[in-house]
Amino acid sequence: MASLKSKYQLAWWKWLGVIIMLYVIIGGLAIPLNPGILSITPQNSRTGDTVLISVTGYNTNFLSEKKIDAYLKVDQYYGIKSLYSDALSDNSIHFAFAIPQQLPTNQKQVPASLIINSAVDGAFVLPEGLFIENKDIGRISDNELRQLPEKYFTNNAFRFPYRNILHETIRNTFFHVALWFAMFILLIFSVVYSVRFLITKDFDYDHKSSSYTKVAILYGILGIITGMIWAKFTWNTFWTNDVKLNMTAISILIYLAYLLLRTSINDEDKKANVSAVYNIFAFVALIPLVFVIPRMADSLHPGNGGNPALGGEDLDNTLRLFFYPSIIGLTLLGFWMTEILVRFQRLKHKIYLYHETNV
Amino acid sequence: MVDVNKVRQIILKDWKVESRQSFAIYGILLFAATTVFIVFKSFNSINPREWSILLWIILLFSGLNAVLKSFLQEKKETWSYYYTLFNPIEILISKLFYNFLFLALLFLLITILMNVFMGNPIRFLPMFISGNILGIIGVSIVFTFVSLVSASIDGSHHTMMAVLSMPLILPIILLSLKVTQVSTGLLVDTSIYTDIWLLFGIDILLFGVVLILFPYLWRA
Repeated sequence: MASLKSKYQLAWWKWLGVIIMLYVIIGGLAIPLNPGILSITPQNSRTGDTVLISVTGYNTNFLSEKKIDAYLKVDQYYGIKSLYSDALSDNSIHFAFAIPQQLPTNQKQVPASLIINSAVDGAFVLPEGLFIENKDIGRISDNELRQLPEKYFTNNAFRFPYRNILHETIRNTFFHVALWFAMFILLIFSVVYSVRFLITKDFDYDHKSSSYTKVAILYGILGIITGMIWAKFTWNTFWTNDVKLNMTAISILIYLAYLLLRTSINDEDKKANVSAVYNIFAFVALIPLVFVIPRMADSLHPGNGGNPALGGEDLDNTLRLFFYPSIIGLTLLGFWMTEILVRFQRLKHKIYLYHETNV
Repeated sequence: MVDVNKVRQIILKDWKVESRQSFAIYGILLFAATTVFIVFKSFNSINPREWSILLWIILLFSGLNAVLKSFLQEKKETWSYYYTLFNPIEILISKLFYNFLFLALLFLLITILMNVFMGNPIRFLPMFISGNILGIIGVSIVFTFVSLVSASIDGSHHTMMAVLSMPLILPIILLSLKVTQVSTGLLVDTSIYTDIWLLFGIDILLFGVVLILFPYLWRA
């Protein structure tokens, strides 16, 4: 009876996978974003003007303070402090700036970042939000524009970072990026089992190898779909000419061909042997596709073409708290799915052997 | 371990078989020539970009059939006979070398025909030759491997050959296409020598894997 009971109990790592994924889904979707600036109007100005900038904020609490300071940051040392602020609602505020006659730079169009320094929300920034047309090019005395604050407020609430363009879709990091990592882990397992099959000719390794590949293909397709949805939001198109997209599409094609190869051989012995060999070859051919060629071309993805990489500013500590568990959780769920597939394969193999011996 | 004399014998044997059924080899060469002519007539004037792309496309599709044939023509009995005479690496190297020579010949023919019909856009000949030889080596390794895999299936060999090999050779094709385009002066890329080295690296990598995997595949 005890053995029957243990047969229907889930192994600890399956529970772990489920719990981690629940943690990632609930935490990853429920924790709010840091306050940020959605948009400002106007986006252009000229030296010597006094401009009234209306700011639309996101997750901000403008009404909770009497006066909020904003700064137009021209470069590391120089900035213009706002004259007054007028909050209309929690997400909408006006700032007035008096832009001086001369700016300490020789550029014709000076990009200025808008920094809002709020005691409640902390400091947040819209990079290159306002372009100032520099009418008189020439240097002015240093002190006139040194208006940046001594210290910025910080917001210690546990929140995900606010990034322009990404907004709420930054949560997709936990799924889209983690799916690729999990897929690669599963593929490595698949190759290891293929090698072990070739050495031992034990069919169990073939079942494991092919099942790992199948689950990895599922993850790959899910990774492409989540990526396409993300791309529609951020790049406004489902598919671009981006090198990483096309290389992953090819890797999926390689592994779909693997499935086709398996279905086209009837003899189990030959099928296991040929598909193990192809699997190893495909994995090696995948290395230049995934690791070398994307590094040589420009890409819209982070880490390419001047975009910040994973582990840089894009992945801060709050994201890490969900991103790494998500990789582990997805991998564990992948192992679980693989185990079910392996059992199914074993049964099929038994039926095959039964027919072989009895017909 | 590898007996060069045996390798030479297998290549010579392959060549003799090929020359006895000469329609096959002439068929492929004629196929390539006809395609070049169709391309020439349908484009009329052609720029270096299309020139380099078409060169590789024609090579791929005419080479696909040629390489697949080299394994399909061997009967099961021939394989068992080989098994007693040679070690697998000798067979692999001879087949690779034969396929490489054939693809290189095909490439030369297509290049000459395209030069005759559509002009010569090549400006840096050494780069064109070195890049494309590395590309052809890579293609012949993948084609040889895949034709061996698809020779062992039950269904349509040709479909399987195309489906299996096209995604696998894509990195090689992209790199050699880039080298070709740089050598025609279409692109200016200072890091092109990195690409050529990368192509070389991919060739070495694939060759190593095929060398390890071939004995397992062959025994089946």
